[in-house]
Amino acid sequence: MREVFLPRTLDELWDLLHRRPEAAIYAGGTDVLVKLRAGLITASGLICLERIQELKGVRDQGDEVYIGAATTHRTLLADPVIQEHFPILIQALNVLGSPPIRNMGTIGGNLVTASPAGDTLPPLYVLDAEVEVRWGDGAKRLPLSQFILGPGKTSLGPGQLLTGVRLRKSADYNVHHFEKVGQRKALAIAIVSLAAVLQVSDSGRIEKARLAWGSVGPTVIRSVEVESALEGRIISRDTLTKAAALAQTAVSPIDDIRAGEAYRRTVAGNLLLRLINYAR
Amino acid sequence: MPDGRIPQIGVVFPRTDALTKVSGEEKFAADYYGQDLVWAGVKRAGIPHARLKSLDVDQARQVPGVIAVLTHLDIPGENRQGVVRKDQPVLVDDKVRHAGDALALVLAESKPALAAALNSIRCELEPLPGVFDPEQALAEGAPLVHEDNPEGNLLLKAEVKTGETESVWEECAAVIEACFETPHQEHCFLETESGWAKVESNGKIVIVASTQTPFRDRTEVAQVLGRDHTGIRVIAPYAGGAFGGKDGITVQSLLGLAALHSQGRPVKMWWDREESFSAGTKRHPARMYYRLGAKADGTLHAVEVRLYLDTGPYDHLGGAVMTQAVEHSGGPYRIPHAWLRGWAVYTNNPIGGAFRGFGVAQVTAAMEQMMDLLAAKLDLDPVQIRLKNAVRRGDKNCVGVTLTGSAGLSECLEKMAAHPRWQERQTWIRAAGLLKRRGVGLAAVMQAVGYGPFVPDVANAKVELTLEGKIRVYSGVVDMGQGNAATNLQIAGSILSQTPAQMELILPDTDRTLPSGSASASRCTYTFGNALIGAAQALKERILQRSADLLMAAGPDELVLVSGLVRRVTTGQEIPLAVLAKWLTDAERIAVYRFRAPVAQERPAKDDQVRLHGLPHCIFSYGAHLAMVEVDELTGAVEVKGYLAITDSGRVLNPQTYEQQIHGGIVQGLGYALSEDFRVTDGLIQTSDLATYIIPTAMDVPDMLSIPVEINEPTGPFGLKGVGEVAMNGPLPAVANAVAAACGGRCYSFPLTSERVLQLMTAS
Repeated sequence: MREVFLPRTLDELWDLLHRRPEAAIYAGGTDVLVKLRAGLITASGLICLERIQELKGVRDQGDEVYIGAATTHRTLLADPVIQEHFPILIQALNVLGSPPIRNMGTIGGNLVTASPAGDTLPPLYVLDAEVEVRWGDGAKRLPLSQFILGPGKTSLGPGQLLTGVRLRKSADYNVHHFEKVGQRKALAIAIVSLAAVLQVSDSGRIEKARLAWGSVGPTVIRSVEVESALEGRIISRDTLTKAAALAQTAVSPIDDIRAGEAYRRTVAGNLLLRLINYAR
Repeated sequence: MPDGRIPQIGVVFPRTDALTKVSGEEKFAADYYGQDLVWAGVKRAGIPHARLKSLDVDQARQVPGVIAVLTHLDIPGENRQGVVRKDQPVLVDDKVRHAGDALALVLAESKPALAAALNSIRCELEPLPGVFDPEQALAEGAPLVHEDNPEGNLLLKAEVKTGETESVWEECAAVIEACFETPHQEHCFLETESGWAKVESNGKIVIVASTQTPFRDRTEVAQVLGRDHTGIRVIAPYAGGAFGGKDGITVQSLLGLAALHSQGRPVKMWWDREESFSAGTKRHPARMYYRLGAKADGTLHAVEVRLYLDTGPYDHLGGAVMTQAVEHSGGPYRIPHAWLRGWAVYTNNPIGGAFRGFGVAQVTAAMEQMMDLLAAKLDLDPVQIRLKNAVRRGDKNCVGVTLTGSAGLSECLEKMAAHPRWQERQTWIRAAGLLKRRGVGLAAVMQAVGYGPFVPDVANAKVELTLEGKIRVYSGVVDMGQGNAATNLQIAGSILSQTPAQMELILPDTDRTLPSGSASASRCTYTFGNALIGAAQALKERILQRSADLLMAAGPDELVLVSGLVRRVTTGQEIPLAVLAKWLTDAERIAVYRFRAPVAQERPAKDDQVRLHGLPHCIFSYGAHLAMVEVDELTGAVEVKGYLAITDSGRVLNPQTYEQQIHGGIVQGLGYALSEDFRVTDGLIQTSDLATYIIPTAMDVPDMLSIPVEINEPTGPFGLKGVGEVAMNGPLPAVANAVAAACGGRCYSFPLTSERVLQLMTAS
């Protein structure tokens, strides 16, 4: 038998983390319960974050939006602030898992799991998200790209908790594009995904581009080179094809049961061609 | 929910099990627990081929909560089982022949104790070189799976030759040659293999199992336990899906053995998904070499086929599946010259077994692509070339059997040719969006109904007027989800004019219902329905006759049966059935009827073994399928945007159940076509769970249109033929033909994953 703790406040949580440092932490459990069943987590205790209200919900703070780490994907999808300011995140959430997984899983869980295939990661990278990490008597704020270190690895130290995600509102982008390539349309783990936010002028020129790829490297891949290859140019098949070639060298995918390295690399580039749909 | 109407044939009759299933009230085999429950589980080999040197279970026996640890030494009877050839051990005694083989059986107080004990079993296994490809397995010097098999790794070869085979190719205007490969397919039923067993105070072993074959299970378990079959009772509740994967022993023998060591306590075994994948059967992978020739006008002239089916280490039903594949390998066409050969071959891969389509899904995948290749070469319309060659009633089919039953393929194809989805395809294709390519493909399908000529395809129906005045229907064939139990009520209710509330249903139970064969081979309602009509009519006659006697009527003509009572229409007198029942003896209240399906008299194969394995059949269902696909140029992803299935499986008894069978077959077929990429490397399954083995979700399923062509089958119950399998065979070739049309090239290995299709587009 395994003990399950259900703290209701952060103070209760800090106390628990102190007493049971080995315990595994979860919110929706959509990753942790799978690992438990497979015997990959052997901790004698589980701490559930689901009932800590401070960790839940979306707060509009003017220039910034704060998302509690234990906010479910379903809640985010229904949130008018997220819908208005971060449509690319909505697009990614819409293809994350399945309705039951979106009902249970949380944004914090998706980040702490730190899978390169995590569906919310590429959009949060292009949005330059920051995360808030807290512990008993301290807190810090850091870019998401510094929080996630590798597959399944984060910079969280003992006794620390990811408590929230901060997103800056920006009017810069008028194209918000997310595409996930999976083995089916739901309940699919990304083979490749691409998040792209662009500022495209009335004449069709890309003024600004931010791109991030999922599942083609140990973490989400960004490429300044590809972004520069797009910026200042008119959206055209030629521009996108050249950028695609650069993207194919920027990514470092692996072979696994879902797809081969070569396929991932090819498609990582090919997905840029989809931006032709936004040509003026 | 069933309403208050007397069921009629040809209109929707809601499933009697619908409400109990969605409310959770219906008890599946996996739902049986009980006081003092004992958990049983199996230690599996984990390596594909090895000699068993020793098995140390002492430590496992010491684990707290362990009741017994049993090995092959504890099997009182025969340690070999199988439907046709008995070659599969219940518990390994000499060699491990695939990674899912069972080495030891553990009984424990709890699941954690069970897991701990299974981990404590030490097996000394000496690895042996394995064989993992059916053609390599037939080569000289290949490692042998069964050293005692006189034919090496060959389980069975089937061969049919009609007409000439040598000179005929020169007479063809076009000849196509190709080789196709199809993979394993996992059944993925919701309810994994499960059962419950207990020794009753009278010594009888009761086994409740998720099975398609309770009567055959009883015989097999009896042999393993060294008992008479009368000492065993097998009960088969509704199964939570089966699709062929429960056609034969899964947990039954192990549970029977466990019950003998549980001190009278109930024992439960329930495989988890991973165990279901590793130990359960799968659709046989096939490598299929085809040569097909036609005259310039598209008239098929000759076909040559070589099929290699990988049956894994055990026959299971591999010989029968391969034989059925050979029988269907020339498709539903008249071909004067056919040379059809198949080999079912032992390997150290997972076990091949029955799966909806039973060998036909594989050969249809190949033959229907051959038809498109041929049509393209001769510049003929794909519908017209099929229509030109489609078998009609009275024709000889590709194995030379004269078709005496109904044959509606031409009607299906004609309807397809006239349908807007075919007529307007060019408009639809041209409307493809940016970076998308569209194609429309089709396939003609057929599926034999029943067991074939040798194994008696028999059902025994039983209907009872209970003392409470209700009609009790004893279902002889398992309902694994397809809805035949409700169909039985519909048939009996329509003949005896009883509403669902006036009827009771008894599900298959070797102590209560009569042996009626397996729930398989598109035979359930065809064979059992015919028997049930006989039994229901006999009971009706008796009820009316005895009522006439009681009312001193001149004869039964004055009487009618309505729900719950008999009415004498000339006087208005009524006798409630509950009253009538008391005037009958127990024996009179019951009517039984036996039906045996018709058998083809031809002997197309010289080898009697082939006939024993089911070739040939005489009744077939047919269909024409159409798939509308859109291929993404950037990713290779194939999306099926629309689907049409036009089916001749005789008259439709219940349009709702019928459509569900068609839809279910299409979805399972689309998984086979596009995403179910079962991968095995050196005998080890790489796609070992539902996270890596990709079955379709509701999101992946297109708009499916099902149109029946209702031709009366003279031998069928109310004109019906079986519909359980035929729709499974169309999606792979229809989608493959559509993808080929869209991409201008063709893949020869399946499924058509995005990766394969993108490669294809890059190459062509």
